[in-house]
Amino acid sequence: MDVINNLYIGFQTALTFQNLYLCFIGCLWGTMVGILPGIGPVAGITLLIPATFGLSATSALIMLAGIYYGAMYGGSTTSILMNVPGESASVVTCIDGYQMTLKGRGGAALFISAWGSWVGGTVSVIGLMLLTPVLADLAVKLGPAEMFAILLLCFILLASLGSGSFFDTIPVILIGLLVCLVGIDSQSGVQRFTHGITDLYDGIGFLPVGMGALGIAEVLRSTEESLVRTVSKVRLRELLPTRQELRSSLGPIIRGSGLGFVIGLLPGSAHILSSFLSYALEKKIARNPEEFGTGRIEGVAGPETANNAASGSALIPLLALGIPTGNAPAVMMIALLIHGVRPGPLLISESPEIFWGLVASMYIGNLVLIILNLPLVGLFVKLLRIPFRILFPIIILVCLVGTYSIKGSTFELGVLLFFGLLGYVLRKLKYDVPPLILALIVGRTMELSFRQSLMRSGGSFSIFWESPVAMGLILVSFFLISWNIYRALRPQKASWEKALEEG
Amino acid sequence: MTKDRAASLLFLCAGIYGFYFSVQLPMGRWNEPGPGVFPFALSLLLLVSGAAWFIRGKRRVKEEGEGENADRYAFIKNLATPLKIVGLTALLILAFNSVGYLAAASLYIFVLLFWVSRYRVVVSILLALSIGIGSWYFFEKVLAVQLPRGVLFL
Repeated sequence: MDVINNLYIGFQTALTFQNLYLCFIGCLWGTMVGILPGIGPVAGITLLIPATFGLSATSALIMLAGIYYGAMYGGSTTSILMNVPGESASVVTCIDGYQMTLKGRGGAALFISAWGSWVGGTVSVIGLMLLTPVLADLAVKLGPAEMFAILLLCFILLASLGSGSFFDTIPVILIGLLVCLVGIDSQSGVQRFTHGITDLYDGIGFLPVGMGALGIAEVLRSTEESLVRTVSKVRLRELLPTRQELRSSLGPIIRGSGLGFVIGLLPGSAHILSSFLSYALEKKIARNPEEFGTGRIEGVAGPETANNAASGSALIPLLALGIPTGNAPAVMMIALLIHGVRPGPLLISESPEIFWGLVASMYIGNLVLIILNLPLVGLFVKLLRIPFRILFPIIILVCLVGTYSIKGSTFELGVLLFFGLLGYVLRKLKYDVPPLILALIVGRTMELSFRQSLMRSGGSFSIFWESPVAMGLILVSFFLISWNIYRALRPQKASWEKALEEG
Repeated sequence: MTKDRAASLLFLCAGIYGFYFSVQLPMGRWNEPGPGVFPFALSLLLLVSGAAWFIRGKRRVKEEGEGENADRYAFIKNLATPLKIVGLTALLILAFNSVGYLAAASLYIFVLLFWVSRYRVVVSILLALSIGIGSWYFFEKVLAVQLPRGVLFL
């Protein structure tokens, strides 16, 4: 009953004119950034953070979440029509989606993709609504030792399941943790790595680092590529799938929803991993797996459903534990922190309107997106005609003004540019950048938990194995580290590992 | 230099920096860890990672030989445009407060469009003015962001 009452309150919040409008704007902008290659959901969210400064935290979160799942919807359009993934989770959709376009079934692929995205998105919102309060209740009971163990496991999982290799990701996490320590230590008041620069006393801001390492770095990388494209036209009547296509897509959509939801709870590139795993699963259980890659609807339905389900469930660790497990949730956490709201176990009890307003808006947003994505697909595709050589200076300018607007300091702009360059260099060297941002955001909590644990135990490390939860999590972390060492030393890799790496 | 070795240098530099400054911080005791403990441990791990990557990079040079040269050429060639953008953005940041947003941003957009995007002068000027004035109006008037006016009061 509690859930229904709370959801009712959530709908009262989400159905105000302002929040409906913001949800619509978020979904529209999200679809646009999902369609445009070179601007992913992260850049899309960061670009609109400055626009949320005049809004309440609830309204800001509703709009930013709309961008997040809107980009997941929009990302499939370019994959299907142009063989260019709008965002990384749609890479696998290119394989069969584009083949369907070549066969004149691009419209049907778009319809099934939007339908699957709606089902996956709705399943993940139901899971988010039911699981987050339970997880938050459990998290309130955790002490610093358990918190440290959770964050340790989170980083180990991030390194194990991210798009880079384990040993490539660990140093990036370490750099992020080191960067987050800059500023005055909250426990002792000692200045760390500030070198007398007053702008560094409060630490390095999340927004310039996030906008730089994710937004500016993405723009810099995109300017390396040629952006000449051909776009296939889609007519509305071509959107309707045949009865056979509808029947074939039902199973992949159901399996993709479940798989995506579970994978989304894991740290790392969950939405990318979920789409690849869903594709692999569909191919594995298909009667004629050799037909995959020639335009099978299952190759579109499963991955698209899975990545949308994963993007919804990725918000659960953020809202219940205050741990962003992906780059888009990390940027949303930055936005919430700017609004003075700290996501975590106390969020639902202290600010129920934010959580339940978000849940209700996600139901509405999913409906808005299916309405936006089907009839207006032709209009969105026209966006691809805007040359990127005009778009990129505007994106950089928005990042600069967005950063400047927080403190009015050009020092922050320097930080933005420095981390933009660092993010770009790391990408060039094939390193994963999001772990740096995640480490930066939760690093101080990790340090605080570690120090508080030792203070509580009088300096004894036994506190980490006296609690069964902490011990269990630390054991899992050690197991994963050992497994990764074994994988690195083993000369031959399993076929699924090779497929994932190639993907 | 291979990608592994370039990355190893980055990690080693970060590790040395962290190590040098963290040892100057109070370490405290185990029952009351000081502010230096965590950065000290992180720096040590970074140094170990950096050293491991340096060794791995050296081994890869021997294994991959000349194939790496073509990669390296493409790697450096692709850097030109991003470096131009970074350089121009650095200049914009330096001029941001003194020149003012409207003039600095319009000039920045013009140079990017003309030099990096290779538009003609007239097109670049028209686009730069439209984007500069449009963005100024959007940020300052619509979003009420306090932008610097500079010596020209623009």
